[in-house]
Amino acid sequence: MEVRASGISDVGLQREGNEDAFSIQSSLGLYIVADGMGGHLAGEVASRVAVEIIGKSFRRWLETEMPEDELFGYPDSSLSRIGNYVLSSVRIANRVIYEMATQYEQYSGMGTTVVILFVTPSLIIAANVGDSRIYMVREGRIERMSKDHTIVSEHVEMGVMTEEEAAKSPLRHILTRNLGSADHVDPEVFEIVPSGSDRFILCTDGLTDLANDDEILEIAQGGQDPELLCRDLVDLALQRGGHDNTTVVSVFLQDAARRPRRGIVTTAGGIVADAFVFIDRLRKKVGL
Amino acid sequence: MAKLILTFNKQVIREYSFDKDGITIGRNEENTIVIDNLAVSGFHARIDKAGSEYILTDLQSTNGTFVNDQKVNSHKLAHGDNVVIGKHVILFVATESDKIEGGDKDKKLPLDRTVVLDTVKQRELLAKQKVAPQASKVPEKIGVLSFVDGSGLGDIELGKKLTKLGKAETSEIKLTGILMPATAATISRRPSGYTLSFTGGMTKLKVNGTVVKDSVQLNDFDTIELGSYKFQFYQKDIKG
Repeated sequence: MEVRASGISDVGLQREGNEDAFSIQSSLGLYIVADGMGGHLAGEVASRVAVEIIGKSFRRWLETEMPEDELFGYPDSSLSRIGNYVLSSVRIANRVIYEMATQYEQYSGMGTTVVILFVTPSLIIAANVGDSRIYMVREGRIERMSKDHTIVSEHVEMGVMTEEEAAKSPLRHILTRNLGSADHVDPEVFEIVPSGSDRFILCTDGLTDLANDDEILEIAQGGQDPELLCRDLVDLALQRGGHDNTTVVSVFLQDAARRPRRGIVTTAGGIVADAFVFIDRLRKKVGL
Repeated sequence: MAKLILTFNKQVIREYSFDKDGITIGRNEENTIVIDNLAVSGFHARIDKAGSEYILTDLQSTNGTFVNDQKVNSHKLAHGDNVVIGKHVILFVATESDKIEGGDKDKKLPLDRTVVLDTVKQRELLAKQKVAPQASKVPEKIGVLSFVDGSGLGDIELGKKLTKLGKAETSEIKLTGILMPATAATISRRPSGYTLSFTGGMTKLKVNGTVVKDSVQLNDFDTIELGSYKFQFYQKDIKG
């Protein structure tokens, strides 16, 4: 499987500093975007700390095949081992940011969102805390692989508000979870199997405040260059006012050696193997 | 117009628009925001609009009024402030017009800035007040596959984010059959719900009689066929 990725972070037209951060570790297949919050430089610190700590701890655990029960916090039984590495790395980053925010006055109140994508040929993991998003474009459709932690998205889930109302609500920037405001955090973690030519977009609300899912889908389907896609999405946010920092990381999958529709040989091999199992069972049954 | 959002255990109970010069909060029914809870005094606190500012005043309540984690007698509210009264949190949200009226921009949090609903400090305060928090969450659901094919697999809960169905030893749901591939299909629990995907191989996958070659989102009581296996999908509440 061939994976190509690119990322752009733009300060926008109205903010002085950029509190977003991102990281692309192609050799590992790990992609992270974070949107920091908090006065002075604290927001910038929080997002960078999140990206750094998640990247480093995840890499170390993956490379040393760390047993799940030695991770930070209890593993989640609904996740694979690698899914638990992602979960745990987010929790450790949260704890560090929380400790910094409570112990140092200059970091008081700092926090950050985070979205993480980990790609292997057999498994894709998507995780998030806060309102930054991961989109998956597959077979001409766009699907969110993250869950917004905002009051309005809870309202949408409860069925008392529509997506359109949520996008316009004055409450849309109120998070119910982030990294840094509590000593423990429960990230969303999802696991799926990759398919052929999936495209993923990780982004901050600087984009999603100004572009809806359909518009993102339209742009994401054109072109073959992940860098151009990032450029086009960031430009769209800037054209529409660029009121916030905007960060986009795009990841394109290409199944280079797409399995040639199960060659007859392998299928036949499978059948032969099955036949032996079958014969074995028969033998046992009839007591040979 | 500013807004006040009354929340309890992270759940929004009601939103109030600040459409007059002053509002009161308390247990008595004559208040603008009525909180029917013993930890709340009859007339607990009030908020008054003074020019472009909103001033919160504790009305000498028994259990006190807190803003963020500070006990206050009087406090000038800023966008994103959490006013804690008993077990309830009232979030103060300023709006565009207030922002323009407001003079000292630097001290206020711009409106498009993200803020966090502060639940931890709320919990700490609750602990101090020795009031047990109640659960009031939307019940969480879990998907179940109910095998109706005589395979004896019965009902299997989809407790994993990713469930693989096939012959491989590592499959969460192990199926047999001559043409059954190592992984024939997967079910992933995604933000939008459960999605069934065909993985490949010569064993046909059908949902409600229609062949599935890529992915389909599962709805309650969909009938799924995979080779000679037949099962139904449904979701049930997780017992708390």
